[in-house]
Amino acid sequence: MMRSKTSSVADYMDKEQTPKITRRTTRSLASATTLDNPVTEVTNFGPPSAANHPMVEGDPEVDKEGTPQIPRRTTRSFASAFNSDNIATKVTSIDPPTINDLLVGGDPISLDDLISAFPGRRSQIVELMRLLGPLNSPTLPLFVYGGPSTGKTSIILQLFRHLNRPLVYSSCSTCYNQRILFESILNSLFLHRKSAANGYSNAKRCDRPSDFVNFLRDALANVINNLKSNSEKLTSNKMAARGTGNMIYLVFDNFHLVREWDKSSTIVPFLFNLYDLLNMPEVGLIFISSTSPDTYYANMGYVEPVPVFFPDYTEVDLHQIFLRNQANQKLYSSFLDVVLRPFCRVTRQVDELFTAFKSLFEKYCEPLSDHSVAPSEDMKRRLFSHLKPHIGSYLNEIFKISSLPSLEVEIHKETKRKGNPKKLERSEEIEELEFHMSTCAKYLLISAFLASRNPVTLDDSLFDPTGGLNNRKRKRKTSAKAQEQKQSAEEELVTKGPGTFPLERLLAIFQCIVSVAEDPSDEEEQRNGGLGIEGGKGGLMSDVLLQLSSLCNANFIIKGGSCPIEGSTRYRSAISEGLALKVARSLKFPLSKYLYRR
Amino acid sequence: MGRESHKMKALSLLRSRICDPKFVFKPLHDSPDSNYSKLKFMISSSITEACNNSILLLGPRGSGKSAVLELVVGDLLVEYPDMISVIKLSGLLHSDDNCALKEVARQLCMEHQLQFSKAASFDDNSQFMVAMLKECGLAHKTIVFILDEFDQFAQDADQLLEKRVRSRFSHRKLLFLPPSTEDSKRILEQVLSLPVDSSFPHDYAVEFNRKVQDILEDRRFKETFNKYLNLDSSIKHLLRFLFCAVSCMDVQTGFLTYENFETAFSSILRQPKLECLKNCSILELYILVCMKRLEVKEQTLCNFNSIMKEYKNVHDSFQTSDYYARNVCLRAFEHLINRELICFTDSRGYGSSVEFRPVKLLISSAELHQGLKAYHSCPAILHKLMDREG
Repeated sequence: MMRSKTSSVADYMDKEQTPKITRRTTRSLASATTLDNPVTEVTNFGPPSAANHPMVEGDPEVDKEGTPQIPRRTTRSFASAFNSDNIATKVTSIDPPTINDLLVGGDPISLDDLISAFPGRRSQIVELMRLLGPLNSPTLPLFVYGGPSTGKTSIILQLFRHLNRPLVYSSCSTCYNQRILFESILNSLFLHRKSAANGYSNAKRCDRPSDFVNFLRDALANVINNLKSNSEKLTSNKMAARGTGNMIYLVFDNFHLVREWDKSSTIVPFLFNLYDLLNMPEVGLIFISSTSPDTYYANMGYVEPVPVFFPDYTEVDLHQIFLRNQANQKLYSSFLDVVLRPFCRVTRQVDELFTAFKSLFEKYCEPLSDHSVAPSEDMKRRLFSHLKPHIGSYLNEIFKISSLPSLEVEIHKETKRKGNPKKLERSEEIEELEFHMSTCAKYLLISAFLASRNPVTLDDSLFDPTGGLNNRKRKRKTSAKAQEQKQSAEEELVTKGPGTFPLERLLAIFQCIVSVAEDPSDEEEQRNGGLGIEGGKGGLMSDVLLQLSSLCNANFIIKGGSCPIEGSTRYRSAISEGLALKVARSLKFPLSKYLYRR
Repeated sequence: MGRESHKMKALSLLRSRICDPKFVFKPLHDSPDSNYSKLKFMISSSITEACNNSILLLGPRGSGKSAVLELVVGDLLVEYPDMISVIKLSGLLHSDDNCALKEVARQLCMEHQLQFSKAASFDDNSQFMVAMLKECGLAHKTIVFILDEFDQFAQDADQLLEKRVRSRFSHRKLLFLPPSTEDSKRILEQVLSLPVDSSFPHDYAVEFNRKVQDILEDRRFKETFNKYLNLDSSIKHLLRFLFCAVSCMDVQTGFLTYENFETAFSSILRQPKLECLKNCSILELYILVCMKRLEVKEQTLCNFNSIMKEYKNVHDSFQTSDYYARNVCLRAFEHLINRELICFTDSRGYGSSVEFRPVKLLISSAELHQGLKAYHSCPAILHKLMDREG
């Protein structure tokens, strides 16, 4: 087969030119020679025939022995790229970072743009600008603090974009320990980017504060010299545009997380004293934190930085913020007039309100056919009365973010509601279990819940060792006082939380429950193809212990400290009653019969 | 460009003065019995007479110890060129032996243009240091070791050091005390006065200085200034306040006003817990008040569940309009923990879930009262609940 191909190829070539033994060539050379004969495709599908096998001149088709070489397989784009010049010289094209990468970048924005972009933050922006001062003016360290989602980080970044001054931003949540923080800052200052060329390594290996200060001094000196020479060039060119100045600023975001890193370390005083240690007036430090400066206790003192406070937004500010980027301003404004006040009684954080308002606004607009019209007073009243009954329920769901896309959930709910209107309430209470667990794990979970919930003394009466619920009636006539005591004791139990239990108790309860479940539904399980627990007692134990450890890892069961008397570890169930009921329902297990209740 | 520039220049000049400790401390210590002179005398005597000396500089944070020392060392380096070598260590960075010796070796190498190897071991470094000390001794060169944050070095060798400190530094201790009110005022004047020379237009500078004098003589200013100094009269603290005031200067007029200083006072003197309370939502205030009531009732167990029970009781007895579902309250509870108004009392974090862990309040009853009063649109029921307990 191959022979014939050779001969046909050779014949073909004979007609045009003498077959030459082509030299093996490199890519670049091949591309240069094929420039005048562009090839779109070189494929090798199916038996090659002279007709549909496009020849490429210069292909290393035939080697010295004459056995044909299968042409290199390549894709269309690759082959076409070959045919352009400079393909060989082009490497992965990210340029090494320059000093301008330290700028925030983006189009320049004016102060008015900045202030209008952040409603309600005018005084904070002005204060920050004043503290940072004019170009090339040294500054004491600043401490920006305020609640979450109050705009601290974004305002600082946009402010630096407006001022066009270089900064090094590092977040103490991404850089979660000392070493990563130091190395990331040094990477930025040494203008080092991790790439394949340097093996994704950092610029310097830096573990300790002493090394960090030394490296930092060098890096900052380099950067400042760079900046100075740049600004000199600017003045020599007599450019009217404002330069970036000679100063560089280090921003530490999420600074409140640093306190947790290492309780005994001196990292917090070190960073607060960094300005004094460096003794370089061209460096400015800014700390951003969600908690106020008085929450930073340390054995060592430090000179406190200048505080800048970002209060939470007021209702007026929130109104302005939510109106931004809305298509129909008047409609949304009337919506906000209705919902903002009641929701602000619960929370004023922008991110939480935002998710709540999205779905609520859709509900608000339901009676409207045309969403782009500005509502009249009459319309507003109608919309308000439509929405009013739902506000309460939405308020109670304010922090819920549904995992399914809302459209599917709606359809699902609609069909459910149409299906069984009577069972509506019950089905909304006990929904389906949203994740999959093996049967063994479910039984373990239920046993753990029961073990945590019921006092030990009740086990005997509840769990008959032969299997099956002990039908002895527990209810006895008790005096009112005893009942009261029982009730308060039970309430105390619920308030105090789930109790601990040793492993043996868990396994004992587990075995009782499982033996109850296995008996009546044996046939069913065989039909379902072995959903039940396999093997005899020996296999059961090993499987169970494995399941237990995975449940502990998933935080369904908490492994506590060891009991001081016995020395064995104790466990505690961490699931709520709702989840336990869901799990029991999926197993058709009568959990309520086993629960210790009044 | 021309008009604005001298006002901007004035602002930049003042700011750079404030951020430069040497400028501030120099005039304060010019007198012959000041710490500066004493320190200078001691070090120069050990240079000229080639004797060993140890000096301990004591004083609260921000009182100028490092600044004065740097001034002294700077002057001596000029006076006795090539006869001094300075090694600086800081307890914050180098409290570990290995670190300290490595740093000493590195600085010695830098001074004498030698190659420093990072891979040198502890023994290598210590041998090197001893050898260098011998060499310097032979060459009559004085090495000054500056140990900053000395208490951090001394943490390990606590007992031992006490005796050593006592014996060595008994008559060579310099105390850096915070300045008196007059001295603080003098510092203010010196920092805020523009030089009446050719760098600024003469009229502008004179007018500026006159206005500064007026402000300093103002009665209101004196009152608030004294209040501020009562908190902390160290110089760094004073400089922090000056920085805020100067940065508020209106660049249009180019002069400092009393309002600048007032703004600076209010922005530095803050009451963070009250601010936090103002940021709370009404539901969060409810939770705080319920916790306070539990505390007053002396209930030993205070966790989320018991707070919810109290919340329900309050709702049942007063029919408040703010009764929300449990998960909403749990989120508000977590917000309070993030704001650090309440905290968990058990240290182990993973024993049980959030609802069962005991919590306590981090604000006092008085602060809560004050916060509720300052809270606009605070529901009257909360005031009633707080008052009822007392």
